[in-house]
Amino acid sequence: MKDITRVQCLLSTEVEALLNQQIKKEAQSASAYLAMASWCDSNGFDYSSEYFFKQSEEERQHQLKIFKYVLDMGGSAISPEVTNIQTEFNSFREVFEEALDAEISVTQSLKNIAANCYKEQDYVTIEFLNWFFKEQREEEYKARRALELFDVIGEAGTGRWEIDKHVNDIKYDSEG
Amino acid sequence: MQNVITAEPLVEFVEVFRTVNGSVFQSDKENCWYIDFVGKLARFDYRSIMKLRKAIYAIDIEALLLNSELTPDLEIVFICACDHCYVLTLLEIIDFKKLLEGTFVMLELNRIIHDRVYRLSI
Repeated sequence: MKDITRVQCLLSTEVEALLNQQIKKEAQSASAYLAMASWCDSNGFDYSSEYFFKQSEEERQHQLKIFKYVLDMGGSAISPEVTNIQTEFNSFREVFEEALDAEISVTQSLKNIAANCYKEQDYVTIEFLNWFFKEQREEEYKARRALELFDVIGEAGTGRWEIDKHVNDIKYDSEG
Repeated sequence: MQNVITAEPLVEFVEVFRTVNGSVFQSDKENCWYIDFVGKLARFDYRSIMKLRKAIYAIDIEALLLNSELTPDLEIVFICACDHCYVLTLLEIIDFKKLLEGTFVMLELNRIIHDRVYRLSI
């Protein structure tokens, strides 16, 4: 019997579902970052707001990258519904704690997809995911570094103003 | 002398999965599947069989079972851009789900066999 599903689509049903789940996760991250940008802006942390706007845009690009990959491989990409976005935060620091949490959760979810791909010997998707793993190195570094600024600079006095000024300068310049 | 004309059958079917109430056949020639269920034989290509699966799996059978309203327990399964429509009772939905689940397990198995056996021998 001919393998029609393979002719039509490179992805297995399971990997396709996982990638669609990841699309949703990236969309949720993009919205969460936008909410953080809004909170920061309203509370006078303009540089951090700018930082989160950029992060939101990046997450959106990630979402589209996976979306296009699923379509290119013959699968059906599902435009996700995004709900339950946290819009209120108790403190400036909490915003960054949430950001790091979100990035860790994205990395874990990508690891889960890769583990499934290895199980199925889907090396094509693994190769595709490698770009994301590299990206997560940068994302987690930036989120962790931002939190570090709270400890290094301290929040007392003009601390938060200093932190805000430096957040937007965080760069990850490891090789390649 | 009498001429005997033998025509090749137009569609060659391979049975994918069968339950007591229905069966699914694959046509390698046409790249599609034929589903024989509730008295009709319907043709589905890759896209539409995927949509059909999604539609049937999405039906909350438990909710329908617990529903005590005096409404007929019928579900209309309509798939966009597909010629077929099913009007199913609760028992038929359960049967149909069973049939589709079995079918997709067999298709998955076929994919694994192709992947592990044929890929190496070509």
